Amino acid sequence: MKALTGSLSWEQRRKLTGLLFVLPTVLFVAVFFIIPLAMTGFMSFHDWPLIGEQSWIGTTNYSELANDRQFRKSLDFTFRYTLFVTPPIFILGFILASLVRHNIRFIGMFRAIFFMPVVIGLGVSSLLWVWMLDQRVGIFNKILLDLHLLDKPQLFLAKPSTAMNVIILSVVWKTVGFTMILLLAGLQSIPDELYESADVDGAGYFRKLFYITLPLMRRTIALALILSVIGSVLAFDQFYIITRGGPRNSTISIVYWIFNNSFVYWKLGYGSAMSIVLLTILMALTSIQYYVLREKE
Amino acid sequence: MTPRRIIFAVLIMALCIGALPLSAQDEDVTMTMWVRNIGAQVQELVDEWNALGGAQIELTVIPPAEFITKMGAAIAAGESPDIASIDLIYAPAFAAAGQLLDLTDLVSDLPYADDLLPAHSELGTYEGRNYAVPFAIEGSFIIYNKDLFEQAGLDPESPPTTWDELLEAARAISAIDDETYGYYFAGSCAGCNAFTYLPFIWASGGDVLSDDYSEATITTDPIVREALELYRTMWEEGLIPEGASIDDGSSFTSAFATGTIGMAGTGAFGINTYRRDHPELNLGAFHIPGKDGGAASFGGGDVIAIGSGTQYPDEAWAFIEWMMSDETQLDIYAANNRTPVRVSLLENEYSADDDLVLTAASALSVGKSPYSLVYNDLFNDANGPWLEMIQVAIFDGDIDGALQLGQDRFTQIMSG
Repeated sequence: MKALTGSLSWEQRRKLTGLLFVLPTVLFVAVFFIIPLAMTGFMSFHDWPLIGEQSWIGTTNYSELANDRQFRKSLDFTFRYTLFVTPPIFILGFILASLVRHNIRFIGMFRAIFFMPVVIGLGVSSLLWVWMLDQRVGIFNKILLDLHLLDKPQLFLAKPSTAMNVIILSVVWKTVGFTMILLLAGLQSIPDELYESADVDGAGYFRKLFYITLPLMRRTIALALILSVIGSVLAFDQFYIITRGGPRNSTISIVYWIFNNSFVYWKLGYGSAMSIVLLTILMALTSIQYYVLREKE
Repeated sequence: MTPRRIIFAVLIMALCIGALPLSAQDEDVTMTMWVRNIGAQVQELVDEWNALGGAQIELTVIPPAEFITKMGAAIAAGESPDIASIDLIYAPAFAAAGQLLDLTDLVSDLPYADDLLPAHSELGTYEGRNYAVPFAIEGSFIIYNKDLFEQAGLDPESPPTTWDELLEAARAISAIDDETYGYYFAGSCAGCNAFTYLPFIWASGGDVLSDDYSEATITTDPIVREALELYRTMWEEGLIPEGASIDDGSSFTSAFATGTIGMAGTGAFGINTYRRDHPELNLGAFHIPGKDGGAASFGGGDVIAIGSGTQYPDEAWAFIEWMMSDETQLDIYAANNRTPVRVSLLENEYSADDDLVLTAASALSVGKSPYSLVYNDLFNDANGPWLEMIQVAIFDGDIDGALQLGQDRFTQIMSG
């Protein structure tokens, strides 16, 4: 190393060291993001079957998207799902974060309990929900029947509306802990003195919430919302495992449709074109959120 | 030692090392084989083969709905299995993609080459070359519970032969009590309904595809509507358990095993499963009937092929040849209620007095299999048009909408 850097000035050596430090990350991003992204873009201009020969077809895949009824249906479904699932995750996450904010006895245990579902893989948790929702052995039917809220076992996944609702319930259960932790960090970064002086001024709970807590948590809220929205737009596992896109294909999310085209119908090129379109939509969505929730000077 | 001797010794050693894998070849070879889970029978077969002590086979069982996806992905990644038992419907697509070894010469050298079941052999052929041979023979038929027939006041020895008789029998059985149902089908399983529901249409002289498989005939063939109405009637009258609507195939076989179902579509795999796990069931079988009589069956099952990337083509073929031999076909296949892959062995010492096995075997004589490169997208896809049409018609009751939806999506897929 000395031989290599001996002839370099201190400034040059400092830059080289910096470069070496970021090199692993650069390599990681290149191998797992930049190259696959470029490859996806390249494939989207091809008729690229999963097995067999590929051929260049220009923008045909993109123009076909306009006539794909299911693509539009899936986009519509995915956005409706995102719209319905985001508020409960966020509001419940905020309530939980407020509840576990202060360091009192056993608080670690509660935080751990609320966070636990996040640690389970989405595939595993989806299978768990399939079992809990079952009409013969599932716990939900058992509880509802015992409480006389139902007179016979309910098939939760047989109707589009109930299928969507139970999926939302399962996702809220699964992800709310993560939002809670993010918001908790934001809450704890607000100095107690602010609340104390507000107390002295006679401010009530809501006044403190709207004039101290929320404004000071702008960045955290932006992060939590952006992560939650991205996660919802990219939802796949829960639909693939719990509803299999049913009933009557009413719960095929956009990533599910990309998966189907790429690996079930073997049309990787078409799936790539859809992925690029989805990426563009997501970037636009995230930019809008960033703009709306930006820190105002 | 002189230099010449040293070179000589090194050469001899190299030859010995090179020869080692040859002499120890078979014991060291482990081939991979993939199969979709069509019962435990394939494992038994592979165990028998492995016990012979030659090249070993490691079996991987894959859920049927995921087989094509996994196989396609494995091939794309260059990790396809040495031997694959493929749903016969997909064999042409894999052969067309150049992923299967050409077996034409090996098959034509077999003394019983002309004895292999013709429908399965045909689907193993692509552009006149042979890429796969019959492996699992499944003709669909309807299995029924004779005890429930008797309780319902029906003659257990004369099962239905028309749609009306089927409906009447289902009504009578459902009337026994609230826990008993006349009929069962897996309402969220696309492939199960291609296997057991399409034949209702075929047996009545109808079809959802034109004879040359070039266009959809869902809205133009009146039988398709009538077949949907038959199931819709049974569903509306509560002759089918409610849980059927969300069965993705996981209860396709097990629902009937509860003993509370009168009739259900199945294949030869069902016989072995029910007899082994539920000997208490008093079983009967009949062909899937047409509207006013007649019968049809989906000639399904698997063909077996060798992956074109295999390192062990000879060993793989040895297994396949052993599988098709007289001894294996009789002592393992027929003895375990499996349908043999050779015409001359269909009737044998084991099947002689067995009505169920004979029905399963004779279903093949009225069997039909659609030959289409887009079969998966049309019929087998869980989000495809076939299942969506069935669900909209039967569970939502919108038969007109279902027919139009089916026609449109079939046409769209077939055109491009």
